[in-house]
Amino acid sequence: MKRPGPLLTLLAGLVLGLFMLTLNVTSGTKTASSSYSEASQSPSSSPSPKKSAPASPTPTVAPSPTPSKSAVPNASYAGRTDDDTASVAVTIRDGKAVAYFCDGRYKEAWLRGPVADDGTMKLTAPNGAVLDGKLQQGKKIRGTVKDEGRKYAFTADKAVKPSGLWRATAKVRGAKIDGGWIVLPNGRQTGIVTRDGKVSAAPRIDPETGAVTVDGQQLTAQPVTP
Amino acid sequence: MTADPNAATQAFPPPPHRRDSPARYLVPALVAAAVAVGLGVYGKVHDPAGTAFNLAGFSSTGAVKSWLATTAFFFALVQVVSAFMVYGKLPGPSWSATLHRWSGRIAFLVAVPVAVHCLYAFGYQTYSTRVMWHSVLGCLFFGAFSAKMLLLRSERLPGWLLPLVGGLVFTGLTLLWLTSALWFFRTFGVST
Repeated sequence: MKRPGPLLTLLAGLVLGLFMLTLNVTSGTKTASSSYSEASQSPSSSPSPKKSAPASPTPTVAPSPTPSKSAVPNASYAGRTDDDTASVAVTIRDGKAVAYFCDGRYKEAWLRGPVADDGTMKLTAPNGAVLDGKLQQGKKIRGTVKDEGRKYAFTADKAVKPSGLWRATAKVRGAKIDGGWIVLPNGRQTGIVTRDGKVSAAPRIDPETGAVTVDGQQLTAQPVTP
Repeated sequence: MTADPNAATQAFPPPPHRRDSPARYLVPALVAAAVAVGLGVYGKVHDPAGTAFNLAGFSSTGAVKSWLATTAFFFALVQVVSAFMVYGKLPGPSWSATLHRWSGRIAFLVAVPVAVHCLYAFGYQTYSTRVMWHSVLGCLFFGAFSAKMLLLRSERLPGWLLPLVGGLVFTGLTLLWLTSALWFFRTFGVST
């Protein structure tokens, strides 16, 4: 007498859900990296630097004595400090780097500087923080951040869109809002919002659109480039 | 000695609804609670991936989800109308029961991928009122839907029960749509 229809409906939904989940788990990184390669290739102005980028650390490929645009491949890197208290993200464009160091509570620093042909960088922030890093085989950056007298060692792996470095600035009801986010490849977010100089943890951004609501105001965070 | 003139009738098998065990209600209720809590716990514990695969032809997963959710909401409206037809409150064709069944199935199956994406990419979040309600209702919706499906398998339920649970499911889906797809369309425009 029992009707099987409703149960079959539930089971179909369960199977479909599990199927989609499996698809996500197995193909999630693949689609992400393919969208990344599109994104990373479009900003480079000419196709040649892109091709020569992996080989260019040898000086023979880069003919100009000044830091060549192709010396270090354009990419983003994101990771955690070794003590797992803060996130570090670095974005490299045309031999220049911008980095964000953020513990998601009150400590943050925006650091900028050039990247040498051998992949080493020394980035500095207005507040005195210093990031020393070295790009290793174009796959990750190992280094340290010195902030407020403490030194944090970190490893930042190559980050594919939408992970990386995001920033949103706006004026909400007269208050100046400055938000920075690091989205790690596993989706974890670390962010800080500064309202007129007052620092607090940031709400999550939508990693696909950069949309975030701060104090009831809809903002859109942008990927940061040097 | 109170001789009940009706006592003899009790020797007959009593009407089935008297003999029904509370399991008829308990099992759907427990399953509903388990589904809702399970989804919530998964969403909270699972590290949000931030992204998931996209469908071809859409600009973002947000657009895909919004359109799938809108499809589900449309079939949910069909659900309400066809339910009134099944109960005879509205004039309807003889196949209104079939319509009710299949529109419900489609609405549910269309909503599942949206929920999978929500749970996989974002998880259970409470950083704003909209997001909190969406998280809570998303878990409750699938719980209530499971209860509705399991209740359908029982016969001779109180007449008000199915409309009540069905109404809850519909209300849940409506609020879910308002807190997600409508928000998406208003924020990013009606795009595909």
